[in-house]
Amino acid sequence: MPRFPKPWSKKRGKRILGHALAGEAGELTFYAGLFLVGVFGFSLVLINEVAPESVSQVPTDALSTGLGTWIFGILSLAALVTGGVTLLYRLARIGASSERRSAIAKMAGAIEMIGPSADDSQSLPSVPKGSAITESPGERLTYRLAAEKASSGIAGPATLALLWSSVWLVLLAVVVSGFWNGRPRWYLAVLLVPFAMISVWSFRFFLTQFRQFAGVGPTIVEIGSHPLVPGGQYDLFISQSGRLKMKRLTVLLTCEEETFYRQGTDVRVDRHEAIRQVIFKERNVAVDPQAPWEQQLHIDLPDNVMHSFVGTHNAIRWKVVVSGESQPWPSFCRSFPVVVHPPGLSLKHNPRST
Amino acid sequence: MTLCNADGLYCAGGELSAKWRISRVPLDEVQGVEVSVLWHTEGKGDEDLNVHHFQRVAEHQLRRIGLADEQVIHCVLPRTPLSYHGRLISLQWCVRLRLFMVTGREIVAEQPFHLVSEEMARPHSLAPDRLAVTLPRANGKPRGNVLEPAPAS
Repeated sequence: MPRFPKPWSKKRGKRILGHALAGEAGELTFYAGLFLVGVFGFSLVLINEVAPESVSQVPTDALSTGLGTWIFGILSLAALVTGGVTLLYRLARIGASSERRSAIAKMAGAIEMIGPSADDSQSLPSVPKGSAITESPGERLTYRLAAEKASSGIAGPATLALLWSSVWLVLLAVVVSGFWNGRPRWYLAVLLVPFAMISVWSFRFFLTQFRQFAGVGPTIVEIGSHPLVPGGQYDLFISQSGRLKMKRLTVLLTCEEETFYRQGTDVRVDRHEAIRQVIFKERNVAVDPQAPWEQQLHIDLPDNVMHSFVGTHNAIRWKVVVSGESQPWPSFCRSFPVVVHPPGLSLKHNPRST
Repeated sequence: MTLCNADGLYCAGGELSAKWRISRVPLDEVQGVEVSVLWHTEGKGDEDLNVHHFQRVAEHQLRRIGLADEQVIHCVLPRTPLSYHGRLISLQWCVRLRLFMVTGREIVAEQPFHLVSEEMARPHSLAPDRLAVTLPRANGKPRGNVLEPAPAS
């Protein structure tokens, strides 16, 4: 029995289900349809605004009010622009190999430059520049490393806990008033139970964040030289503030593979720690607000390791990771990205000289 | 396709030259040829591809130069990214030849090679106990370079 060709294709790993050309044709048809719908809708709006007597036969409720006309017009214009631009983009991709597309994109990128700058001859393609890492001078060593992600604030959890508790109290008031007036609202009374559970959870989440915020102070990481080069030795300074007693404090140098891939309509990320070098590990560390825990350490970067790499969907990231297990405060883990260059090709930059 | 270095190892920033020739395909059936020096990723993530050197030979140029003679491409390789073979990501360099047939069919041939740092390319760094880049096998199949595995945490 002949199978009806599907107007889409689906990628399963390296296999493509359905015909790739059918998928492209399906996309082109969809965007062409979107463009035409946009043209039709926008034309209706224009005619309604410019010559309303000529569309008296058009039965559309959307055009009955001024606000409806504007909404209809904006939606039509959005469909027109989205459909048109995407259609042109898809048409330009047809018939060109992936290598040719990449070469064209590279040429287009080169056109924007007036001429090669002095740095171009020294550039390392696909290696992160790490300029954000080297722009902060340190107090003890040359650079102060920036944390990968700022420690999560407590404003969000506090707002969530407060709003949800307020909503729950309003519902409680409605239920109580219903009982008071002899007209009980049983369905609202039942809803109070799950709402109360969410309220308790949000409050506990806020407390956890608050304890972490209040107890674990800032972590300062400074490094003697940057970028790193395989086989090199580097000084590292760590300072941990706060008021906490840690069961264990660990400082690591890690190299992580990171990949992004599409699974259906979702974009997923997967990470794998390819290298994990323990720089420092200590038990029962006490940190006092008056006397931060400070340590001077050394990094011995192994030979023949991969340099930092950033592509569109794949990356290899190096970072210094400081993690602590503490009681009664929650454990914490803070990452400080560094850039590793290939051996013999490193560029030097000193923030104190600029 | 044949590379100028038989072992397929190229230093970052060095020169690459490759010879290519098309045989057993009539000239009349060929619409065009694209030769590129590129790197691409393989593994769990979506593919990244970047063309470093690109050359397109159109139909009229093909008729002038013919298919029988060997053609040569030259390029200076970039300093990064170096070849790599990890658990989730493999980064592979290759010379890729794409043949466009009149019928709309495309034939792709690849000759992989390794882009390595100068230190890795030195003979002493290829001692078995310190081998980070796996050398090509006798059959010319490519492999990438490898990081030290992370100990179980």
